[in-house]
This record gives sequence, structure tokens and C-alpha cells, in this order.
Amino acid sequence: MPPKQRHAGSATTTSTTPSKPSTSSYVSTSAKSHSTSSTDASEIARSVWNKYLSKTPQRVKLLDSFMAFLVVVGALQFLYCCLVGNFPFNAFLSGFSATVGQFVLTASLRIQTNPDNKSEFESISAERAFADYVFGSLLLHFFCVNFIN
Amino acid sequence: MRWFFSFLCAALLGLSSALSSSGSRLLVVLEDVAEKGSYGGFFGDLEARGFHLAFETPKSPSLALLKFGELAYDHLLLLPTKAKGLGPALTATQLLEFMKKEGNILLALSGDHGTPTAVQSLLLELDIHLPSDRNSLVVDHFNYDGESAKDKHDVVLVPFPKVVRTDVKDYFGGEGVIAVPRAVGQTLGNESPLLAPILRAPSTAYSYNPKDESEIVEDPFAVGAQLNLVSAMQAHNSARLTILGSAEMLQDAWFEAKASLNGKAITTANRDFVAKVSGWTFKELGVLKIGKFVHYLDEGVSKKVNTSSAIPENNPSIYRIKNDVTFQVPISEYVSTHWTPYTPPSGDNIQLEFSMLSPFHRLNLSPLSQTANATLFGTTFKTPDQHGIFNFRVDYKRPFLTNIDEKRQVTVRHFAHDEWPRSWQISGAWVWIAGIWVTVGAWVGFIALWLYSAPTEKVGGKKTQ
Repeated sequence: MPPKQRHAGSATTTSTTPSKPSTSSYVSTSAKSHSTSSTDASEIARSVWNKYLSKTPQRVKLLDSFMAFLVVVGALQFLYCCLVGNFPFNAFLSGFSATVGQFVLTASLRIQTNPDNKSEFESISAERAFADYVFGSLLLHFFCVNFIN
Repeated sequence: MRWFFSFLCAALLGLSSALSSSGSRLLVVLEDVAEKGSYGGFFGDLEARGFHLAFETPKSPSLALLKFGELAYDHLLLLPTKAKGLGPALTATQLLEFMKKEGNILLALSGDHGTPTAVQSLLLELDIHLPSDRNSLVVDHFNYDGESAKDKHDVVLVPFPKVVRTDVKDYFGGEGVIAVPRAVGQTLGNESPLLAPILRAPSTAYSYNPKDESEIVEDPFAVGAQLNLVSAMQAHNSARLTILGSAEMLQDAWFEAKASLNGKAITTANRDFVAKVSGWTFKELGVLKIGKFVHYLDEGVSKKVNTSSAIPENNPSIYRIKNDVTFQVPISEYVSTHWTPYTPPSGDNIQLEFSMLSPFHRLNLSPLSQTANATLFGTTFKTPDQHGIFNFRVDYKRPFLTNIDEKRQVTVRHFAHDEWPRSWQISGAWVWIAGIWVTVGAWVGFIALWLYSAPTEKVGGKKTQ
């Protein structure tokens, strides 16, 4: 982060490396407009957020929001376990691991379908990745429901 | 021939009316058969109680305690003999062998005769000690009979023994004073749990050799209540050996003799006491019998399935952990002529152990009901949270009562996989159930959105690229 603050111009190039060069023009203009107050942390966060909103594909955003939801559900279950106790321990394990497993599977799907990683997953089409994901998720749900009895 | 049959019938009838719980054949070994006249009252009492007395002398060639490896007599009464040895038929080994076959021995000693070596070595083996000099007597200068032992003070008068502990049954109590003339005192070893004193000498008594010329007794064998006038040993197989310090106690002369204790005229109650001691020794008293163990699954409260609680299946070989189990056992006590319901003394309890190597439960059995011959003891408990091979065990060993040690083996298994409660029956699991289904539901929604949003996004993505 500090290099970004010192050179607003170079910060645009570093931040845009993962994204596509076609969208870099918009980002650089927005960054330049706030270059005077770029030392403010909230400004940086806002710019990162704006870049995320503008440059991330719709499907990846959908994946990210689902993962964020899983994190919240998992954290709530863990919090409940800490507060109330783990009495039916298998229930805690299966409930918590359902969210964790789902999170891992979704993360895998995100890696495989992210357009940025296209070069690394030439042989795996997005449809194939999605089918794998559905199959793995159904398996996970089956195990969790079975384990909670 | 007819007389033979009638004799046989009479013998069989006699056998069937035997009153001791373990048989009626009693062998009396004495110095001279003619001597039995002086014990007439005692022998008469024994015969009236259903014993069949046979008399032998130690020298008799036909004397044998065991015949073909089995008991030739159920009980043995050894009266003092003059000879130092008791002959080849009554060695210490053979007396022990007799007890191993559950024969009972009433051993009467006498200060007049000295104790035979066979008897001495038998007692030494059982941790019962006699004075080392053969003529020692128990004397007491305070509780002596003023009529017959005015000068020698060797007829000790003692009251009936009181129970040492309240949780021990009183088999030898009574009213009156017992005369113990010229007794050989015994001391009991501390190590053996099989020994128990029946009658202790008064605290002012001591062991003394009248042949000793010295005025002052130095270092007496034992004094006071350390000296036992009558003591008992019950082996692990419940064979009984009673040592009577004074054989003269059994004689007619002392049965209801006139005596005086500290100037007060009294009548001795030897007959009553001797009847109790011989009754106990020959298994007429203090004999316990344990009946059949009954145990069953008590599904009354804990289990949801309760189909046939009216007639539960008895004595299953397998239980599950945390099962409610009911256990019952009838116990009888033999009293003189018949079996009666047993009631443990207050402060004592019969206990059930549910054990695998060590007891997981040790529970007091409470009396549930009584029949004419037995008390039904029972308890209900929950099998421990530990699977394995367990025993129902009743281990009841008390002074003056025959030993009970009975076991039945059962298997305790763990929960079968379908015996656990379902997840929704446990309210604590509801949050995590909700967690799973929220995840699944959100996943289904995500799939729908993903498929719905696919074409535009893909086209857009391709366009940008």
C-alpha cells in the first residue's frame, strides 16, 4: 500500500495488473481525480471497492457474495458453539463443515471460472467446472445431512 | 430279612428327618467309649436334634473320616484323649482334608489332658495359638466358681457373649452364666479373616500353669480378653471348626450345675450355650442359601418402546449401556430345622456388584418381599456407560454366616447406530440443522442465479476480451 500512496500514477498500473487493460483508462481517471487526497485510508478503500465493482465480472461478483454469505453463516454457527456449547458435537461439525466445504468448493469454482485465470485452465471449460461444482456440492450436502442424523 | 428292611426303613427315615442343613452323621472320638456316660445329656440333646452319633476311639482300626474319597461322616466331635498322638486316622492333614470336603469339626480341649500334637499342628496351621506348656489353664481370681474351685480359681464363670459389632448376627447370646472349668485358652492370629472369637475370657483372667511352682506368674501366655475360651474358624468353603477350650463344659456335671459367683448362688447355663455352639458348628445355624438370580431389562420409564413390560424376558445374556436393569435374588437362612427368610442385621446390607474387573456399581439390595422360605432382595440400576463383559455378583461374607459368592456373566453392548436420538430431537442441534439447510438453500439460489445470469455475462465477458 505505501508505494500506491507515494506515486498515484504508478499505483494505477499496479492495481490494474490483475484486471484487463481495456478497463484501465476508467480506473486511472478516477484515481487521478482523488490523487490529492489519496493519503486517506478510507479513500484508498473506496477506490479499491470502486475498482472491484467496475472491473469484476458479474459472475465473479455473484460468487464473491455467495462466499461472503457462507462466511457469515459459518461464523454465526461457530459463535453459537462458543456461547452455548458443542453438545450434539456431530451437529456442530456437520453444520459448520457444510459452510466451510461449500466455501472451498465455491472458491474452486471461482478460480476455475475467473476470466483472469483463463490461461491456466485452458483445458477446463466454465461449464465443466460448474458441473464439477454441482456434483461436489450435492455430495457435500448428502454427507452433512447424513452426519447430523 | 424283615428286620433288615425295617432297619433300613428306619435308617432312611432318620436320614430324611435330619435337622442339620449339611447332614446328620456325627462321629464322636473319645478316649474310651465307656466315657460317653458323662456326656449323656449333650449326646441326648444332639440325638434329639436329629444327629446320628457314632462313637470311636482314636485307636480303633475302623476309624476313617473319609471313605472312597468322600465324607464318611458329616461332622466330627473330638473329645480330649490322654494319648499324645491321635493315631494314623486323625492326623492334621486328614482333619484338614475332612474340612476341605466341607466336614465340620467341634474340637474340645482340656487342661487336664494336654493337647494332642495332631491338633496342635492343625491349629497352628489355622493361626490359632495354644499355650506352649501342656498344662496351662485359664484362671481368674474374680470370676471363679466358689463351690468347686474355691482355692484353685480355675472354673471361670462368664456371662453369655455379646455381639462385638452391631452389624453381626447374634447366634450365641443368652441369659445366664456359663461355667468354663479348667479351660485351655487360645489366641487368634490377626491376619486370618476366617477366625472369630465366640467366647472371650473376662478381663481379669490369665493363662497359668498349675505345675509351675513359682508364686508369681511371669510373662503369661495371654491375659484378659486376648484369651478365647471358645473360638471359631470358618473356611472359604464354609466348613466350620469350633475350638472349645474346656471339654468339661459339655459334661452333665456342668450342664445345670449349682455354682456361686462372688458369694451369689447361681445355676450355670452351659446346656443352652453348648447347644448353640454345637448347633452353629454342625450347620444348624447361620447357614445361608442363595437362590436363582433374576435380572431383566426394566423398560418402564427410560425407553420409548414398552411393548411387554408385564412379562419381561428374564436373564438376557446381553444389555446395552445405560439400560435400566432390575436384579432380584432370594436368600434363605437355615434356622435349626428349616429354611427361613433371611434378614440381615441392622446396619448390614447385602450388596450387588456389577463388575468388569472392578465393580462399576456396588449397590445395597433391599428386601422386596418374603416367601415362607426366602426373602427376595432386589435393586434397579442403570448399566454404566462402558461396554464389555460384566458380572452380576453377590459377595456376602460375614462372621458366623456361610459365605455367599455368586456371579452371572452378561454382555453390555454399546448403542447401535439407529438407537441414537435423531438430530431434531435435540433442541441444541437446531441451530446447526438450520445452518446446513440455509447453506443448501442459498446454494440452490446461487445455482439458479448463476444459470440465469450466464448468457449476458458470458457475452459481455467475450466482448470485453
